[in-house]
Amino acid sequence: MYGKGLRALSISTVVAMASSLALVFFYAPLEAEQGFLQKIFYVHVPLAIVSLCGFVIGGLLAVQHLRTRDSRWDMRSYVVIHMSLIFGLATLMTGSIWAKGSWGHWWVWNEPTLVSFLIVFLLYATYQPLRFAIEDPERQSRYASVFAVTAGAFVPLNFIAVRASTAYLHPRVLGSTSNLPGSMALTFLVSLVAIALLFATLCKYELTAKHTRAQVRALRRRLSGESASAPLGGRSAAPSAQPIAAIGARTAGRPVS
Amino acid sequence: MGLLLAETPALPLHEAGKYVAGAYIVLLAMVLVYVAIMSVRLGRIERDLGELLELSDPDTGRSGEVGQDR
Repeated sequence: MYGKGLRALSISTVVAMASSLALVFFYAPLEAEQGFLQKIFYVHVPLAIVSLCGFVIGGLLAVQHLRTRDSRWDMRSYVVIHMSLIFGLATLMTGSIWAKGSWGHWWVWNEPTLVSFLIVFLLYATYQPLRFAIEDPERQSRYASVFAVTAGAFVPLNFIAVRASTAYLHPRVLGSTSNLPGSMALTFLVSLVAIALLFATLCKYELTAKHTRAQVRALRRRLSGESASAPLGGRSAAPSAQPIAAIGARTAGRPVS
Repeated sequence: MGLLLAETPALPLHEAGKYVAGAYIVLLAMVLVYVAIMSVRLGRIERDLGELLELSDPDTGRSGEVGQDR
């Protein structure tokens, strides 16, 4: 179910990543002010954009979960937020490396863009502990979705607020690609597509793995004579993926509204 | 590849080189860690499927591994 199109997506990602690296190192010219250090821009900025978009998408998927009460939307929201958090960590790390090379410091506390991104990252770092703190799977998924919607709405607001108030110390990218030379703009866009594809592929892998595991568990229960929809033992932050048979049974029992 | 490298100017791997390399290594490490995690998970699923095969039909389970009949 989730594995459909995974091969094509993986191949596209590898091609896009290879093209992006080739363009970054063999095509894009050196920037006049920062020189070779500016090459970090082609990985750091797409990571940040994809990560922030992932948080917003996680919120939208959570809205869908709250509307339909279908646990598959909760699973998608969980996986997207989980992956955005990993991409967010990579953004902070690559940003720190750039800051050390450019400013001579790993971190600068009076830079609004850096601090605001850290706030968003720390906000989402509480998502998994929140899930883990709630034992009942139904309540866990509902509370997590409310969190994802609220935090997802905070992300663009935070982005706009920082852009409106900043003293323009941080290098600007979004909205100013038209100011970049054509070769740099093309390289940046290809890098953005490559990172977005990487994000989508990893999410799809994660969803496929979780779904397969759920199916194996359901099969094990069926073979050992237990009910396939019986709750799992032990607490987990991850939503319990529904095997196809259990989903079918659930949907069949739901009243038509 | 050799031709491509000959056509392109030498990469200025001086002071900034280590930072740029560091940033790209972070991305590479992230992907590699993920692949490692996925391979562990795949191994676990394969083991579980082997156990299930044994549960469903002990004779088949003992005689071969999953996917051997392909």
